[in-house]
Amino acid sequence: MAKYLIKRIFYLLLTLFIVITVTFFMMKLLPGTPLTNQQKLSPAQQHLILKQYGLTKPVWQQYLIYVAGVFHGNFGTSFQFSDQPVSYLISSRIGPSLLLGAQAMILGVIPGILVGALGAIKKNTWVDSTTTIVSILGISIPSFVLAVLLQYYIGLKLGWLPIADWGGFAYTILPTIALAASPFADTARFIRTEMVDVLNSDYIELAKAKGLSKWGVIYHHALRNSLIPVVTIIGPLAVNIMTGSMVIENIFSVPGIGEQFVKSILTNDYPTIMAVTIVYSLMLMVVLLITDIVYGIIDPRIRITNTSK
Amino acid sequence: MKFNKALALGAVSGASLLLLAACGSKSSDKSLASDQTLNWVETANLPTMDPSKSTDIVSGGTLNNVDEGLLRLGEGSKLRPGVAKSYSVSKDGKTWTFNLRHSKWSNGDPVTANDFVYGWRRTVKPSTASQYAYLYDHVKNFSAVNKGKLAPSKLGIKADGKYKVVVTLSRPQTYFKYLVGAQAFFPQNQKVAEKYGSKYASNSSSAVYNGPFKLTGWNGTNNTWTLKKNKQYWNAKATKLAAIKFQVIKDQGTWLSQYQSGKVDEIITDGTQYKQLKNSKEMHLRNGASTFYLEMNQRKGFFKNNVAARKAISLAINKEQLVKNVLADGSQAPKGLVPTKLAKRGNTDFADAAYVKSGTAYNLKQAKAEWRQALKKSGRSSLSLELLADDTPAGKQTAEFIQSQLTKLPGLKVTTTNVPFNVRLSRSTKGDFDLVIGGWSADFPDAISFSSLFTSNNSYNRGQWQNSAYDTAIKNAEGKDADNSAARWDDLVSAEKTLMSQQGIVPLYQQTQAQLLKSKVKGVQYFPTGAQWDFSHAYISNSK
Repeated sequence: MAKYLIKRIFYLLLTLFIVITVTFFMMKLLPGTPLTNQQKLSPAQQHLILKQYGLTKPVWQQYLIYVAGVFHGNFGTSFQFSDQPVSYLISSRIGPSLLLGAQAMILGVIPGILVGALGAIKKNTWVDSTTTIVSILGISIPSFVLAVLLQYYIGLKLGWLPIADWGGFAYTILPTIALAASPFADTARFIRTEMVDVLNSDYIELAKAKGLSKWGVIYHHALRNSLIPVVTIIGPLAVNIMTGSMVIENIFSVPGIGEQFVKSILTNDYPTIMAVTIVYSLMLMVVLLITDIVYGIIDPRIRITNTSK
Repeated sequence: MKFNKALALGAVSGASLLLLAACGSKSSDKSLASDQTLNWVETANLPTMDPSKSTDIVSGGTLNNVDEGLLRLGEGSKLRPGVAKSYSVSKDGKTWTFNLRHSKWSNGDPVTANDFVYGWRRTVKPSTASQYAYLYDHVKNFSAVNKGKLAPSKLGIKADGKYKVVVTLSRPQTYFKYLVGAQAFFPQNQKVAEKYGSKYASNSSSAVYNGPFKLTGWNGTNNTWTLKKNKQYWNAKATKLAAIKFQVIKDQGTWLSQYQSGKVDEIITDGTQYKQLKNSKEMHLRNGASTFYLEMNQRKGFFKNNVAARKAISLAINKEQLVKNVLADGSQAPKGLVPTKLAKRGNTDFADAAYVKSGTAYNLKQAKAEWRQALKKSGRSSLSLELLADDTPAGKQTAEFIQSQLTKLPGLKVTTTNVPFNVRLSRSTKGDFDLVIGGWSADFPDAISFSSLFTSNNSYNRGQWQNSAYDTAIKNAEGKDADNSAARWDDLVSAEKTLMSQQGIVPLYQQTQAQLLKSKVKGVQYFPTGAQWDFSHAYISNSK
């Protein structure tokens, strides 16, 4: 297991290095400058200022300087926030993003599993139809539409929860629901399909024949076997939540990093683009690594193959 | 005493004096609500509080409320005293002497002439990389200091004792008085700046303030912060608000919900919201100092030396319809390049004085005639043009509208390309376009901030329209007439008339912000240029 982990972490770092390199050179192809007042600066004035930031050097030199900086933990200074080191920009804003992401993941996946399982067990009844309709709605309504609806009805009309802003658990509820809708629906659909298959398989018949209780069969055999494909989609779900947060953070005025990413690209804020890319790819790769480890825990066959290497 | 000295020094024709304006409150105290807290919305984060580095309206507006330069903009963009209680200008217009009052920073330090000297040198020196240093253009040795060829100490500003600032300009500049009120010219406390180094003004506690308010609760990147009354401010007795709570809201739908629920006291509405709410008593139109215009590439090809073609383009676009039906956000049809209510002489608005009707009029019949003539002149029967514009909602709407208007011209096919701001800027600077929609906003209330754009070979003149009469008029306004306000005004008016009658550009609209402001909020001052808002005289009234 340890050997496997070390290997995986090595590959993770290698991938990260490739991501950094590719992003850096692609980013340098963006037209324009990171200067926030560039519209009012003549090319000569721009050159003077860019020189101060070392942005008039050849791109390969800038790349080497950047990579050397990253190895020393220096991610540069943001252009949008003119005096803030990017590491501070991210560390001060990542908390809300992570919290929302984790809450949305929990609120999406766990009820998704329950609702999906319920649909499969009560196949072809009104319960099944209802859960299917709910999950289809969850998939087809974009998160930003749901966000605005929640904001209008629950925030403004009923006044139960804050419309926007950040400052305690109450403020996280609406954005979490908006973000969780799509992972919830995905999980429910997946579980239902898998479980319908599993429930029809021979070993379930065998378990039933052995005289196990109905819920015992469902919990020990059906659910556990249906969970494997769900673990597969956790990676894509995490990506879904990360990209969804870029919009949701904007709508609910959440002080996170999602919308900083979009803005940094539009304003050529090179150090921020790089750092947020690194954070996002790192988060995704860690989620994938954890998924693979979890695989081993729920599916013994995978565990054996891995440890035998 | 100080007053007399200033008078003696400036006992010349160009002397201007400012006296303490009557700032006393007219409203009696019982009209004030017990809670003097204003809730204000910003649409972007506060990126810095460093006066040398501020470029955006959020930091500009905040700085203007927490700090104060030599002079301050007041009601109707008229100047009022700031840290300087009076000033005088020498006969040749090159030496400006400011007499400072005895005032304090929020930490109790006195605000002295040295704070101005330090702040100005810091803004101009190359390592600061200030993006507004160009406003110092007329200050002696600016260019050499900014390029690092001369030491910052050679910049044309010096302290004469603790409370007198003497500025030397390389050539006269009548509007210098407006510049000294801008953030880039604010005083900076050397002790504090050096203590915090690279962290200076990067959060609310690593800076000190000499204005009506002080900043609290800003960690450098968060979405909320609060301005609190600064008791050390010299005119603190006139400040009625106890606090202004700022909240960053970037989504337009959220603004409106927060406003309607009473969480915030003001918002800027977009086109759809303005249409719905324009009859509300709480709606205020804020005339901006920015004009959007169409530039035609005159480097080579069709539009070069082809007045008829340029006129046809302008006459074919119905600007009234653009602002009323397409943008519909409160923006106004332009009278020319220089927006209305930007600059005045006596009671005459610059835009009225320089108004050339044909420059912004709509007349499709005449447009078609001019266009046929233009085609004939260039020996073509048809033409296809690319219209470059921003990919913002307003950029797309405007481009589509113009496309639909121009295709009415015989033999003209227009394609639109909407790109991000950075791309539009770099392509238009390189001249990689046929038609481009761009805009400009003034930094200070003088026509020259627009007029200087369209001189020959100027990099902001993206279309490269060239006209020697225009160049001469601008050169005179900046040169021989720089210190003669009547002659200078005439130069600028004639330049604008030339630009419009030659249709160097096609003005499209003058941007206006439609603001919803709760009626209990009184006395907020709005400025079209520089910092947008001044809260120093604002208060929350009891009556609705």
